Amino acid sequence: MGCQPVQSVFVSGAATSFTWADARFSLTDLIYECVKEALADAGVAASDVDAVVLAAHDLVDGRGLTNMVTAPAAGTYLKDETRLGEDGATAFILGDARVRSGSVRRCVVAAWGRASEGPVDRIANALFDPFTTKPLGMTEVAVSGLRATQAIATYPSYGAEREGAARSRHGSTDPSRVPSIAWPLRPLELPVWADVVAAAVLSAEPSAVEITGVGMSTEPFDIGDRDLLSLPALRQATDQALRTAELGIEEIDVLELDGLTLFDDALAVEAVGAAPQGQGMHAMAKGLAVNTGGGSSAGYCAPAMGLVRIISAYRRVVDEGAAAALATGSSVVASQNQAAVVLSHQTTR
Amino acid sequence: MSAPNDAVPAVTIEGHWDFDYTYFAGSAASRFFAELRNGRIMGSVCPQCERVLVPARKFCDACFVDTTEWREVSLNGHLETFTILTSSIPGSPEAPFVVGYVKLDGASTALLNYVEGVDLTDLDKAGAELLPRRRVRVVFNEAPQGRITDFRFVLGDAA
Repeated sequence: MGCQPVQSVFVSGAATSFTWADARFSLTDLIYECVKEALADAGVAASDVDAVVLAAHDLVDGRGLTNMVTAPAAGTYLKDETRLGEDGATAFILGDARVRSGSVRRCVVAAWGRASEGPVDRIANALFDPFTTKPLGMTEVAVSGLRATQAIATYPSYGAEREGAARSRHGSTDPSRVPSIAWPLRPLELPVWADVVAAAVLSAEPSAVEITGVGMSTEPFDIGDRDLLSLPALRQATDQALRTAELGIEEIDVLELDGLTLFDDALAVEAVGAAPQGQGMHAMAKGLAVNTGGGSSAGYCAPAMGLVRIISAYRRVVDEGAAAALATGSSVVASQNQAAVVLSHQTTR
Repeated sequence: MSAPNDAVPAVTIEGHWDFDYTYFAGSAASRFFAELRNGRIMGSVCPQCERVLVPARKFCDACFVDTTEWREVSLNGHLETFTILTSSIPGSPEAPFVVGYVKLDGASTALLNYVEGVDLTDLDKAGAELLPRRRVRVVFNEAPQGRITDFRFVLGDAA
């Protein structure tokens, strides 16, 4: 392995898996199978990989320092390994930086969360501040409820067009797979919990899909300090990614945005500039092709979802022949950190 | 995925985390909570952006400077947003219950707590009643403990 500076980074393979409480597979089995599939998709072996970046969360996995247990299943044996307690999109951006810097030529990025192993709402509550918000019952879905209320109160179309915008979403009849309602949210607007693993192979060797822009930004921790509707960190991360890619949002063909609920998706549509202020729900109701696979309703577990959105965008670029895609990932708590990635089809640039 | 061996029963085990932590609030938050016992809600002022940050805190994370002044804010304010939660957690009221962010008069940031004073028999009706950025007032418990749960918001201004 040399250490030549590399300017361009490509996605050469990827895989995702969505299961639920399949006792035939341990968490490490699920990770191993997904990473193996991503390597096969890229046409490389584990021995061809120089570095691995992982995103996992101890509380979600119910394992102290979970990456110590789970990392070998992602192919880290005698590898340059980085572990993040962050969303998978951030891991993807770090993997991009590792390859772009020239310090490694091929990097696996993996992220996972197995919702079926623990009480998702209780775990979410444990993430909040022990002095001011945790004692009041806050969860991630509760924050989405707060956003939804403010959106309905501020933008009339959010209440009027929510049913039309939810058309592409899936429901679940399994009560263990959906969070309890946080009014004004409705069942079809909620995530469906899943056991999720995502893995991507990044490489300096040219392939069809190039990473042409990345951006990250962070909001205050205190939710009472935040602008819940305009998502300033997502705006900033997206601006940075598009600027790096030298693209405008109007040149983006594929949108994969990491929102916990339908309302988070609609507000994200506005934040990335794909709809005017207050028109995100209207744009989705009128058929804006965002999260065409159903988004969070197709299976959700933090902190894998940003990487899932990136891989969905990658697939749409490859399968649909799209020229450029924007994918975003948001972290706990309440989307405090946002990451944005632009993928471009190499032949169209 | 590779086909698993289905010939043996799948093993599962129960797990449970139950550790006791002692969190340190620090001097600024400690004073904020102490003032709750006196029936006062305090903010701290950022000398740069001049926002009154509630709950009071040691520093302004937007400007990254120390806050330099303590300021009492009103016990009346606007309900900026809310949600009605339909499941309880240990220590919370019996569901359904309302939590909301209120910007108290004189504060620049919003404060979370329970919101009372609306009939929750019909959630849609209750939500519609609360939607138009209602005025609320702080009502303290009879025996405050210096905790965020020492007070709640109730519809309507104090007399």
